[in-house]
Amino acid sequence: MSYFIQQVLNALGWGSVIALLAAGYTMTFGIIGLVNFAYGEVFMIGAFAAYFAVTVFNLPFWVGILASLIGAIVIGLAIERIAFKPVRGSGMITLFITSLGASIIVKNLSIMLFDDSLKNFKVPNFYSGVYLLGDIIVFKKSILIFLITITLGIMLVYLVKNTKLGIAMRGISYDSKISETLGVNTERIIIITFIIASFLGGIAGILWGMLFGSVKASMGAIPVVDAFIASVIGGVGNVFGAIVSGYILAIGSSLFIAYLPSELVGLKPLFVWVVFFIILIFKPSGLFRANIK
Amino acid sequence: MKFEKKIIGKYILVIGLFFLTFYLLEKILSGFWLTLFLLFGINVILAISLNIINGWIGFFSIGHGGIMLVGAYVAAFLTLPTSFKKGIINLHLPAFILNIQIPLLPALLIGGIFGTITGIILVLPAIRLRGFYFCAGTLGFNIIMTTLAENLPNITNGAMGLRGFPAYTNIWWVWGIAIFLIYITLMLKKSYIGRAFISIGKDQCLAEHMGINLLKYKIYAFGISAFFTSIGAILWVHLILNLFPAAFSLTFVFTVVTMIVIGGMGSVSGSIIGAAIVTLFTDTLAPLEEGFSFLGFQVPQALGLTTILLGILLIVVLIKKPEGIMGEREIFHKLFKEKIN
Repeated sequence: MSYFIQQVLNALGWGSVIALLAAGYTMTFGIIGLVNFAYGEVFMIGAFAAYFAVTVFNLPFWVGILASLIGAIVIGLAIERIAFKPVRGSGMITLFITSLGASIIVKNLSIMLFDDSLKNFKVPNFYSGVYLLGDIIVFKKSILIFLITITLGIMLVYLVKNTKLGIAMRGISYDSKISETLGVNTERIIIITFIIASFLGGIAGILWGMLFGSVKASMGAIPVVDAFIASVIGGVGNVFGAIVSGYILAIGSSLFIAYLPSELVGLKPLFVWVVFFIILIFKPSGLFRANIK
Repeated sequence: MKFEKKIIGKYILVIGLFFLTFYLLEKILSGFWLTLFLLFGINVILAISLNIINGWIGFFSIGHGGIMLVGAYVAAFLTLPTSFKKGIINLHLPAFILNIQIPLLPALLIGGIFGTITGIILVLPAIRLRGFYFCAGTLGFNIIMTTLAENLPNITNGAMGLRGFPAYTNIWWVWGIAIFLIYITLMLKKSYIGRAFISIGKDQCLAEHMGINLLKYKIYAFGISAFFTSIGAILWVHLILNLFPAAFSLTFVFTVVTMIVIGGMGSVSGSIIGAAIVTLFTDTLAPLEEGFSFLGFQVPQALGLTTILLGILLIVVLIKKPEGIMGEREIFHKLFKEKIN
């Protein structure tokens, strides 16, 4: 039993990264029907900005956080401007292909510039250490990461449900033309959505760096897929659902690996896809009711 | 009678021209240009067979890498020298596979059949999922196949990959199959089956109302596409001479998708043009990745440069000319019209 609990606790850190990314994903997905495959690169750039600020230039940690957020928002808006805005309205598949193209461009560019090796990510001191509960080990960092994610998640759910901005977002996702006639500035709301999504990407990038202590140029590939699946499972546009299913996926794949023979550990990526196919075949609308749409 | 003679004469002329051209090309081309020409042919095969799904049936698949992987591995077991297969300790294959080495044609057929079976698995998501979700599902298929190939070292030798293939691929195999594929797809486009494919792509429900059995024609389309995709992959493996699980990953499929998007979805001649552009583009720019010195400046190594440029090309095409170069039209339209009437 303690083995089981240990596995669940170990998955919390990874689950937080997935949950934040899934929340960002589900917002762009819900509002303009865009499956932003380049979101993993926004996340990666966020982590790299923090890495450069903290490890390379030896600046304090809060500057790193600021750099990460600015980097993520700049790259997110740049991708939106260059790759998505000109093809908006020409169907989900076109948008998906351009986002795939943008993802491959940014990823290869950063592999070219920074090479694809693991880079040490410096974290503040207060943050390491463990608590011992009987024979269960709890890392301080997983608790901190979990709390940050939950706080952000509550703020986000409040934003989408109760504020004027959130109502405008939901209006656009129902029908952008009618919202426009009712006085919603669609263009502005879409940009704000992208800023929020990139913000979440940047935070997730820092959390990844704090969790694993290293960053690399191709790190966006796996979380982006997991987060996409979490957003589908959570119901498209449902922020709460996305966060919960991010945790479900992370805990599920952690347990999947824990109870598998050790030579099959490499099969970890299969778990999320199996869940994805099961959900799409038996309950295509997702586990939770779609919130935005 | 007179009419038939004219057609037979035309066929003989075309076949004669084909043999003459490729005989001359085989004599003239060598080294880099020969490889480029062979890659062009293989890309034509891959692009046209992907176009059957993505352009005609209207299901956007990016999971053909999984099909290629199955076809290529099955053929690899059959054509690898027995000494190499026995030399790998990890490999636990049945004895009869370890002890045989067969020529290319049966390997192509057997690999193609296994690829077709894999392709028909892709019909399952195509029954339930529409549009983008199918796209995501095929992406998953691709990742699942690559992961399995990496993690079953008893069958695939894991991430180490297989080497020591006999260099079977030559102009006759590649371009013979490519021209055969071009011919049958152009014929198919005018036939009942091809029109059924295209009408499914235009409007699935309407096609069903017109009496087209959706499941049957989806299976046909995925079968044809998967068969030729795996043949293309097998030829590619016997040209490059090594095979590892990440060979047909998303980047490879992305290149093929770029070809059909540039050329025009649903157009056979568009696929050929797209394959020509992309092959020339990637293989002539490949030396730039290694770094070189230009007028005294040392240009550093830039791995992945061609992929980046390909991505930029794809986005520019999608913004400026979303239907691609050819749209759904064909160059050979007039040439073939006569034969069918």
